[in-house]
Amino acid sequence: MAEPILDVREVSVGYGKTQVLWDISLTVPEDQRIGLFGPNGHGKTTLLRTISGLLRPWSGEVHLRGERIDKALPRAIVDRGIVQVPQGNVLFPELTVAENLRLGAYCRRARPRLADNLARVYDLFPRLKERRRQQAKTLSGGERQMLAIGAGLMGEPTMLMLDEPTLGLAPKLKDELLEAIGDIAGSGVPLMLVEQDLEFLLALTDRLYMINHGVVALDLDASESFDHDQIIQMYFGKE
Amino acid sequence: MDIGTAQSVLLSGIVLGSLYALMATGLSLIWTTLGIFNFAHGVFMTIGAFIAWQIGADLGWGMGPAAGIAVAMAALIGLGCLSEFILVRPFLRRPDVVLVAVITTLSAAIFLENSALLVWGGRYKQLPPLIEGKVGMLSTAISTHEVLIIAVAPLTLFALWAFLKFARTGSAIRAVAQNRESALLMGMNVPVLYSLAFGLSAALAGFAGILLGSIRFITPGLGNEPLVKALIVAIFGGLGSLGGTIGAAYVIGLMEAISMFFIGLYWTPAVLFGVMISVLLVRPTGLFGKR
Amino acid sequence: MRDLLTGPNLARLICLLILILLPLVVPSPYIRHLLIITFIYAMVASNWDLSLGYAGVFNFGHIAFFAAGCYGSAILSKTIGITPWLTIPLAGIIGVIAALIVCLPVLRLKGIYVVLVTFAFSQLCFQLVLSQEEITGGSMGMPLLPPLKIGDYNFARDGKFGYYYVGLFLLVLSTIYLHRLVRSRFGTSIVALRDNEDYAISRGISLARQRMLTLGLSAFFTGVAGGFYSTYVRVASPEIFGFGFLSLALSMLLLGGLNSIYGPILGAFVITLLSEAMVDLGPMRFLIISALIILMLLFYPGGLNNALQQAYKWSSRSGAAARLFRTNARN
Repeated sequence: MAEPILDVREVSVGYGKTQVLWDISLTVPEDQRIGLFGPNGHGKTTLLRTISGLLRPWSGEVHLRGERIDKALPRAIVDRGIVQVPQGNVLFPELTVAENLRLGAYCRRARPRLADNLARVYDLFPRLKERRRQQAKTLSGGERQMLAIGAGLMGEPTMLMLDEPTLGLAPKLKDELLEAIGDIAGSGVPLMLVEQDLEFLLALTDRLYMINHGVVALDLDASESFDHDQIIQMYFGKE
Repeated sequence: MDIGTAQSVLLSGIVLGSLYALMATGLSLIWTTLGIFNFAHGVFMTIGAFIAWQIGADLGWGMGPAAGIAVAMAALIGLGCLSEFILVRPFLRRPDVVLVAVITTLSAAIFLENSALLVWGGRYKQLPPLIEGKVGMLSTAISTHEVLIIAVAPLTLFALWAFLKFARTGSAIRAVAQNRESALLMGMNVPVLYSLAFGLSAALAGFAGILLGSIRFITPGLGNEPLVKALIVAIFGGLGSLGGTIGAAYVIGLMEAISMFFIGLYWTPAVLFGVMISVLLVRPTGLFGKR
Repeated sequence: MRDLLTGPNLARLICLLILILLPLVVPSPYIRHLLIITFIYAMVASNWDLSLGYAGVFNFGHIAFFAAGCYGSAILSKTIGITPWLTIPLAGIIGVIAALIVCLPVLRLKGIYVVLVTFAFSQLCFQLVLSQEEITGGSMGMPLLPPLKIGDYNFARDGKFGYYYVGLFLLVLSTIYLHRLVRSRFGTSIVALRDNEDYAISRGISLARQRMLTLGLSAFFTGVAGGFYSTYVRVASPEIFGFGFLSLALSMLLLGGLNSIYGPILGAFVITLLSEAMVDLGPMRFLIISALIILMLLFYPGGLNNALQQAYKWSSRSGAAARLFRTNARN
């Protein structure tokens, strides 16, 4: 088996004295899209923050293509291509949409292809193009998500981590985002997606991890086409 | 009051406003980026004037005003970065950072003021005007140096605005102020941006000091009174809005000139304080403030 | 009453006793002078802590209350001719009035704006003192103020014994006042407001009223200290508005530790002696003191009071451990 893109090995981490993740391990193999789900407050966002370097693990290691990154600064990790799109985020509210997107390409690696990527993002989310001169805080909830994802794409990710992109969105907008994220995944960008909506995850990912109480409680191959109820059953069966 | 007097009051108000705008914009920049208030800002002004005098003036090393200004600017940027590193960075994560930073920057002001006293002594010094002579303007004659201040301040502020608006680093400074975590996730070097904001702000103060240093005498306390005025401007305009700050600077400058003429030098501080209080009673975060 | 003679209270009484007996043992009037200045600073710093520490009101105009007392007493005694015995307590009331004036705009403000307004207020007072030359003597100040006297006994000529005991008496009075204040319902309510504003307001504590009371109450003995100061040094000078005085008071507060009464008092003793030891250094003195403030904040934010409490806890560790155990058992 080829070396995985991302390898999280027995990571423990928390805030202050509160431990959130307990020796968690998971891998992202080449060409796989990973979904994370589970109850709120059980460590999904913490895991993403640890991978992107905002939190330093108490113990354990994180490897990106064989290179250890758990002691690197966030900007070094971004420069290696891991881009996290944080949850429910307005990015920079007082800046215009276009300024927000340009800053998405702040890291050295993404700079040369800024213009191309901008065109690509506008192509993917035409609404952002319409609103490019508006301040980000004037956008609707769905548009903000598009902006956040768009800014993530501007960073030329070699792995994109999306944290609940559909949080609080209407079904119609969800479908729109589903399609866009599908496009992104189709273009070959490895994906790690945190979602509450299982249907959404099943449609987009190859492999599912359920995180509960700071550990991986379930590890499923999404191609075996489970449905929502089965997963819920497996979950409660295990309890 | 005849037209001539009115015009000279107006002009001196604009000169004051220009200086206050340079000062208060720096304060505002730091407030928006780091969320702290820098009480050493006034002494930055003093140090800028002293360095320019030391390098440039004939009684100093006599290397000419251009060299004086250049060295002063470079030194002030360095001093600003250093101040951020010592006075602010160690405390940024503390919940009481606003209070702690008041104390550390105030201490730094005392430190630098007394350093200036040690190095340069208490005797009055003055920078030669950048341009000699007088110009007829409207119907009064004012010194060319004052015309220069009136012209240079808006140009400098425009350059600052353009930098913050269009340069990559400039928009990054604005971005960091609005969302630190996203800035980190986009790969910005947040500590460097903080330092840079502080350095820029210090350079603005130093520049104002150089301009002021040829109108007034340079003493270790040169920056104290302008700091209080800039503080009033910042409150009046509301911290955190550059446009509001600049507008307020000119309003306060004019108000001061008018009050000096009608009410006299002695009661003018009270008038300005009164105006500030009235604004705060109506709008507790200043006229244009947000936080 | 039994508590009076145990633990920290006993230590305080011993300190007081030492201070009462000291002039009888140590002959030097210079030492008495230093201690008189210390008593004054101790009053300023410990009262400042009521607003800055306990109530968390970012008040940087405290020196203005002191100055108001200074000049108020000077004008009343020299210009109007009231005996300094009366002008010193009146200076307290003048300090309170100054505090109430600055209160007006501060009541509704938050955080940094409170700092800015109180700081600007103090600068405004400075400018006014400078400009009202006929009343305050401008930059020259008001020299040759009348000293304290009892009959023909002149306090200015007794080797500083009289002033020493008056100063000590005022400091003890101020400390008892603060001590009772912070343990009262009012004291609890201002700390509650500081720590959880929304909750305290929802419990019916009025932010504006408590703020006004805090500033007013912290200004009384500050003003008294000001009146006593100008009477003692026999001059009211605008120098007290300078950064020097502010930095001294601030360093005492920080060295002593916020949220305590005895910390700043202890800080006043340490800093006054330290500052006096450096008096020949000129501007260097303030360089060192300001650097000290920053170093304190960097490396020992708790201040002396914290160190004292730790020492005390350590000395009565067994008792504390037992109490802790009981509390845990209950939970």
